[in-house]
Amino acid sequence: MQASSQADHQLKIYSLSEQGVTIEFGQAISEDLLQLITNFHQLVNQNPFPGFYTAVPAYTTLSVFFDPVKVIQSRELPGEDCFEKVSGYILRLKATLKNTLASQGNTITIPVCYGGKFGPDIDEVASIHNLAVDEVIRLHSSAEYKVYMIGFVPGFAYMGGLNDLLATPRKATPRSAVPAGAVGIAGKQTGVYPLKTPGGWQIIGQTPVKMFDATRPQPSLLKAGDRVVFKSIDLPEFNLLAAK
Amino acid sequence: MNIRILKPGLLSTLQDMGRRYFLSQGVPLSGSMDTLSARVANKAVGNDDDAAVIEFTYADAQFKAETDLLIAYAGDGAKLIAGEQKLPAERPLFIPAGSIIELINNSAGSHTYLSIAGGWDVPEILGSKSTYITAAFGGLEGRPFRAGDVLNSADPLTELSAKILESLGGAQISYPEWSIPRQLLLPSERKNIRVMRGPEFTWFESTSIVDFFSTPYTLSRQSNRMGYHLEGAVIRRTKTDELLSTAVTPGTIQVAGGGSMVLLMADCQTTGGYPRIAQVAAVDLPLCGQLKPGDSINFKGISRQDAEKLYLEGEQHLHKLSIAIKNRYL
Repeated sequence: MQASSQADHQLKIYSLSEQGVTIEFGQAISEDLLQLITNFHQLVNQNPFPGFYTAVPAYTTLSVFFDPVKVIQSRELPGEDCFEKVSGYILRLKATLKNTLASQGNTITIPVCYGGKFGPDIDEVASIHNLAVDEVIRLHSSAEYKVYMIGFVPGFAYMGGLNDLLATPRKATPRSAVPAGAVGIAGKQTGVYPLKTPGGWQIIGQTPVKMFDATRPQPSLLKAGDRVVFKSIDLPEFNLLAAK
Repeated sequence: MNIRILKPGLLSTLQDMGRRYFLSQGVPLSGSMDTLSARVANKAVGNDDDAAVIEFTYADAQFKAETDLLIAYAGDGAKLIAGEQKLPAERPLFIPAGSIIELINNSAGSHTYLSIAGGWDVPEILGSKSTYITAAFGGLEGRPFRAGDVLNSADPLTELSAKILESLGGAQISYPEWSIPRQLLLPSERKNIRVMRGPEFTWFESTSIVDFFSTPYTLSRQSNRMGYHLEGAVIRRTKTDELLSTAVTPGTIQVAGGGSMVLLMADCQTTGGYPRIAQVAAVDLPLCGQLKPGDSINFKGISRQDAEKLYLEGEQHLHKLSIAIKNRYL
């Protein structure tokens, strides 16, 4: 990232609730903004203010949540009310953000068994784009994706980087149940369902990997800023990994 | 201390003040829908506010005291009785082993919270004992109660809980004269919900904003712990930009496609992509936690500053109540 691009960003700070403040870093999705938000998220975690609970990154925002009683009682945070105290802190902390690549995120490979019973919509996706099924698999598994944010359900990653050739509208009628691990396409997005939920994405495969596991120290496999690569596996390998 | 669930009721789960530290991984806050009642029930038995409580939905639940109990309840979903005897809310109740306690109808609201001295004993998952049914974790095996479930209290008791128990114990149901007057902590007009302007407040037609503040909205049947679908005047947009998904929180009112509104509640998603017309003042969120399908509410404006001030005053009041109870026993 260019050193100047961070300094160019103007912050907008707004109150989300009595217990939350949102910092808006820009208006459009970009990898630069993702890097900036990821860096700032890390900086806030390393420098928590009194009463700070947690921060939630999204496409263009980072929201911080806190205990208003602790914030208002804090003498080290100047301001008339919690919003002033927290936004003042955020602005001062932002001024210390180094123009360096602090966090590169991890690259995570997700094995996917494409098509067949795991990818009921892959034929539809292929025919919409006039592609062979193998070509759909090749295009989907040869790109590197960026995780912009986690939301919707625990461990669900909003990823960018889908090849335009695969962009496909959602299904006209959502399924009442999509299995955990289902890999789907919706518009220009691709993603993996961490839990069995209703869903309208075009399902092209399934991973045996647990995208979310409440017993892990980091329950969500992915976090904002990570890179993802999908690797095509066959059914025996799927079964082998699923049995682990 | 432990109880056995004889009739589970419509939806009974364990909840605490929520799961605060995993929002960035998409894990909802969860926790009690009416946090005020949950805290009152905990305070009444000498627990910390964050101890796990049972959240009952409506009435028709029944449990048996397998041991002597020190419990309390608060909320508007039901009243508790033991046989013919009415049990008063918002104060500690000593219940001797063998008693059968029933939740009977109280049409005022939807949720009732049952605390036990020490708190209900379930493992902490991701820093909380709250049940999150969608992902099947937290509380009792991540699920609502079933008949036959046995729930234990955690050890040890706080010094205060031990003193309250000592003052009441015996062979019969007993309770003190004092109670925690929850009504005094709530506004008198309970169907007027105060809201702050949401971040996208200016995205809507001015006539829709007038409707929002002057016409009633009714909870539809599609209302649950994640959120309430509101029926009423359609909210029309002037700005049709797509909102990039960003953080939302309980109390956020989103305007979905078609102009209908959803009021997000305890189990809501951590992020959302619908424009946010308003945010319910934190002091009025416990009132929302008692609403049920068919209830109508009116939205009234409040400034961010006033909402924060009321919140901090409410917390101060609750803090003083805790001290007052301690002063009785310690």
